[in-house]
Amino acid sequence: MAPTALLEGANLRKTYRLGRDTTVEALRGVDVRIEPGEMVAIMGPSGSGKSTLMHILGLLHAPDLNHGPRPELRFEGRDIVALSDAERTRIRARRMGFVFQDFNLVPTLTALENVMLACDYAGVRGPAARTASRGALDLVGLAGRGDHRPVELSGGEQQRVAIARALVNRPSLVLADEPTGNLDSERSAEVLALLRRFNREHGQTFVLVTHDAEVGAACDRVVRMRDGRVRDQAPVALATPVDLSPRVAAVA
Amino acid sequence: MQLLRDLGRRKVRTTLTILGITIGIWALVVFGSMANKINALVAGGSEFYAGKVTVSAAGGSMGFGSPLAISAADRIAGLPGVDVVVPGVSLLMSDQASTVSFGIPELIEGQVAGADRGRETFALHYASGRALTPADEGSDVTVVGSDIARQHNLRVGDSLTLRGEPFTVVGILEPTLTAPDTTAVVPLAAGQRLFVASLPTLVSARLDPTAIASGLTVYPKPGVAPEAVAAEIKTAEPDLVTMTSADFDRQVGSSTSILNAILVGIALISLVVGGLSVINTMAMSVAERTREIGIKRAIGGGRLRIVRELVTESALIGFLGGAVGLALGAALVLAANEAGRSSGTVLFQLTPGTALTAVAFSTLLGAFAGFVPALHAARLDPVTALRYE
Repeated sequence: MAPTALLEGANLRKTYRLGRDTTVEALRGVDVRIEPGEMVAIMGPSGSGKSTLMHILGLLHAPDLNHGPRPELRFEGRDIVALSDAERTRIRARRMGFVFQDFNLVPTLTALENVMLACDYAGVRGPAARTASRGALDLVGLAGRGDHRPVELSGGEQQRVAIARALVNRPSLVLADEPTGNLDSERSAEVLALLRRFNREHGQTFVLVTHDAEVGAACDRVVRMRDGRVRDQAPVALATPVDLSPRVAAVA
Repeated sequence: MQLLRDLGRRKVRTTLTILGITIGIWALVVFGSMANKINALVAGGSEFYAGKVTVSAAGGSMGFGSPLAISAADRIAGLPGVDVVVPGVSLLMSDQASTVSFGIPELIEGQVAGADRGRETFALHYASGRALTPADEGSDVTVVGSDIARQHNLRVGDSLTLRGEPFTVVGILEPTLTAPDTTAVVPLAAGQRLFVASLPTLVSARLDPTAIASGLTVYPKPGVAPEAVAAEIKTAEPDLVTMTSADFDRQVGSSTSILNAILVGIALISLVVGGLSVINTMAMSVAERTREIGIKRAIGGGRLRIVRELVTESALIGFLGGAVGLALGAALVLAANEAGRSSGTVLFQLTPGTALTAVAFSTLLGAFAGFVPALHAARLDPVTALRYE
């Protein structure tokens, strides 16, 4: 392992309160380490805590501080356990990218404007933002679709716009929550190949939360979770090659 | 620009909200214009009566009605505080009930031009033609107010029939928004003749037209209060009734301030309803866009930014509603004034102040209405918002 991890968490706990007396222990003390350039899948059954872990790694939620050993969370060497909402928002905008299961584009904006929104939040505006966004759309194969609104795009195209949006600021970490969950197998393979290609060619670090064993198999490492704990985190056998050309991909 | 386009992409909701505000602002413009008109009438009247005492015979009111002997003018002129006394006649242009209209009825005023020796401070401006001069005494000429000129389609040189007698129009006044607009001014002798002819035969048979007036305008000496002069006149001539600016304000001002309060009240109620509709729509809009807000928060949109976007949007809705409401209100006011002009019923006066207030107010209202839902939106947990269906 490299001396400095990109993202390093220890003693991560999260308890959600559902009602007056009902609480759910989503994370019961997780240690996790993401190296730069890695492509990691977090897998596990529903309720295993994988989404909660991703929300904490993506600074959308903070780990619990009020019980158990003090949690630790470092991103790019910086302690981020107790940051304010504004500081966490700033890191999300500038250093992270997000891809969601439901594509989650802003419906009133065109594909290009959706990508430019991420630039805007990262403080990049004007022609620079336009050029970067066009470039990102080009990289995901949607150069000619920038003026279309999300409803005018297919599911696979929407997810590629979302990927362009996640990548446009060249973040050090991209978090993807079930990125292929709403796509048929052919579109899934395209999206997966796209992520893999960015990982290989640009050294982009990805953390993917998934149910899909094929997604897991395409990653460098799989973190398996069960009942709020990490069960194992085995490297994926290199024997599973992934076709890097999305147009001809046909993962059975 | 992008904001406008986004509103266009949420057409139904935006249109309904703008409509809500529009109705409120429309009501504010219409009722506000009505209040303006009333205030202008009152202010004009107050100004008209300022600095002087208007005297009439008991039984008459506001300077017209019963005849009084013109000799009273000389007696009053001899009182210590009095500077100049101008006798005049005023009578309704027509006895028919149909001329009873909102505001001030159409009047014929007879007076000797220049008899006030420069004391009259109520400035009149001539749209065309000239003022009456002392040389006009004995001839049948008239200077008419703007409303009369418009109603009868008069130009200088035209003939106007007053109480059955033809008069030549020599001057037309600019609008003053008060009494002179509906007044035809004639030389004193002509006014006296028309006045006596308008009285019941039993009374008029015993009168010498040149010896009567219907009212006197009394200008106090410099430094003497009109009220003091009015008191002197009341003591010396108990049969006469006096009227000062203060009396006018007392009689007319109090009743119009109540009317004003009612009008403004109605307009404010409509605005509150309009404002509630914006709050409602913005709250719905935020709920509708919960996921969108979740996305924006997740990919790095700050809370302030979210609040600013939503508040700007609702302020724009308020502004658009205000502008449309103002346009519709102005259209109604102008149309109603145009339609009412022929019957002398000019109900409304839309001032730039009212227009500006209406639009500024609706914009602020919109911004305010958007603020609470925007704050709620900014406090949403991004993860929960993303899961929102």
